[in-house]
Amino acid sequence: MVTEFGIILLYFILGFLFVGIALVMAALIRPSHPNPIKNSTYECGEIPIGEPWIRFNVRFYVIALVFLLFDVEVVFLLPWAIVFKQLGWFAFIEMIIFVVILLVGLAYVWGKGDLDWEKPKPYIAKLEDLVLGKKKQ
Amino acid sequence: MMDLNYITEDLIKSVGQFLPETALIITFLVAMMADILFKRSKHLTGYIAMAGLVIAGFLLYHQTGVNFKGFANMLVIDAFGQFMKYIVLLSSLIIIIFSFYSDELHAAHSRLGEYYTLIIGMTFGMMLLVGSSNLIMIYLAIETMSISSYILAGYTKEVKRASEASLKYVIFGAVSSGIMVYGISIMFGLTGSLNLFDINQYLASHQVDHLPLLISGLLIVAGFGYKISAVPFHFWTPDVYEGAPITITAYLSVASKAAGFAVMLRFFKTTFFGADQLLDGTWHLLGSINWHYVVAALAILTMTLGNLVALWQSNMKRMLAYSSIAHAGYLLMAVSVMNDGGVSAVLIYFFFYMLMNLGAFFVVQLVSNKLHTEDIEAYSGLGYRSPLIGVALTIFLISLTGLPPTAGFIGKLYVFTSVIDAGYYWLAVVGVLNSVVSLYYYVKVIRNMYLRDIESKEDKLVFSPSAIVIVFVLAVPTLIFGMYFTPIVEWANFSMNIFIGN
Repeated sequence: MVTEFGIILLYFILGFLFVGIALVMAALIRPSHPNPIKNSTYECGEIPIGEPWIRFNVRFYVIALVFLLFDVEVVFLLPWAIVFKQLGWFAFIEMIIFVVILLVGLAYVWGKGDLDWEKPKPYIAKLEDLVLGKKKQ
Repeated sequence: MMDLNYITEDLIKSVGQFLPETALIITFLVAMMADILFKRSKHLTGYIAMAGLVIAGFLLYHQTGVNFKGFANMLVIDAFGQFMKYIVLLSSLIIIIFSFYSDELHAAHSRLGEYYTLIIGMTFGMMLLVGSSNLIMIYLAIETMSISSYILAGYTKEVKRASEASLKYVIFGAVSSGIMVYGISIMFGLTGSLNLFDINQYLASHQVDHLPLLISGLLIVAGFGYKISAVPFHFWTPDVYEGAPITITAYLSVASKAAGFAVMLRFFKTTFFGADQLLDGTWHLLGSINWHYVVAALAILTMTLGNLVALWQSNMKRMLAYSSIAHAGYLLMAVSVMNDGGVSAVLIYFFFYMLMNLGAFFVVQLVSNKLHTEDIEAYSGLGYRSPLIGVALTIFLISLTGLPPTAGFIGKLYVFTSVIDAGYYWLAVVGVLNSVVSLYYYVKVIRNMYLRDIESKEDKLVFSPSAIVIVFVLAVPTLIFGMYFTPIVEWANFSMNIFIGN
């Protein structure tokens, strides 16, 4: 007899086999005609530009963190909504306090200006600059 | 499904006993809003934080004599926790006052509001930690306090070594809490519960494999050991203490250590000792793993390494960092006794340690405001350049060494007494030898202040009167409690009972 953990092991093995067999079969059957365009990275049909190892703007992380805050809020709101009828006012007040605490967080991020997305200002050369040979600013 | 109404009633009852912490949460929110709304005022959030701490202290006072388990046995309120919470609140209050005098913080004063807010956040985490009686709660509380302290350590982010300190602190912290969670998971697998009371009952009634229990216990203790900077887990301490702003260094060396020791004592007492507490104050070990020797080994390693490395330091902050490691060793000695005498010795020592260590750090801060250095060489002639500050620093350092007639002597006396009462003579001998070693590096500073001939002797240093008053508010009790210590000892004896439920 297999134990309960044994079943999990079997499940793992089956999972690996399933993926492995599918890949091997596909490699055997499909035709193979590589060319440079096919081998290039797929970027939604665009021609790929530059390396993938670029530095991302740190603002993405800030936005992600703020998003996380409200994501977690929703996770807590759902079970609360289910038992709300049974618990009544106590649960209501409790949840109001919880939401207010999160809102203070949002107000803080807003007040500190972390929600402003400052766009970079690229320098676009004007025609006369180029003609007269002026230096870039 | 458990009865919902029962849970709700438990919650409502628990909220009533959660008032000091609630006060801190409200302070945190108000301070944060004030920081956004009144950007110009420099100290407003600091004053709000102070008011919040005082209110929390009052609410804590109203919990005197309460023994209570709340929030589904997640938190415990008892006299022991109350004492440690007082220490946490008091040191937070003192640190906020110190911060008003700190030049290095005011260089970045547009972010000062965040600084005070985070101190409140950290205080809240420590209050939770002191009362935790569930392994998940312990982990959460440690994270709450750690995350605030990581940011605070790197608060002066323009200074390179502060950023370095912060990063090192984060990395070590992440690793050690990972190790701790691993230990917690093994403990859960062994006993089927995360609640310390349930684990205790399981250990009392079942035969548990020794090896996994020892390993999981050690891994959990590693998490606490990181907070109190006990030796195999101390590597972050010198760099973080040197790089962080002095106020935060002082804070980490007192308050977060107090919380770490509190949770360590509560963990050992609640988990590994039988609930049938006898009147003579001895605790009865469950199972055959002798935790005394584990902690005693940690204690010896910690104080020996702390003292021996402190001998070679030329930077005052770094020297005090190693000295705080050594003090953690003395305190661990009292923890390793694991009876009521040991607990009360830890409490007594902590109260005095708070006074003298914060005082010493404040003097370092004042001197570094004037001289812009923390080199021990720079203290040459300080006794003549500023007699009052020199005298105060001498008191603090003598007290840290543990010589009479200062409070540090009384603290050490009780620690050694508890160790000898328990029959660990060898441990006491190691402790005394270590104190002798520590004399050298503390007195080196005093020698620099008074016995060195330098030209700048006549070049007076003038400190603001209020700063000198604060130094003496800490220095005078350090002296007085060295001679009249009965109230603190009685308070500690009253507070040594760790509530273990019924």
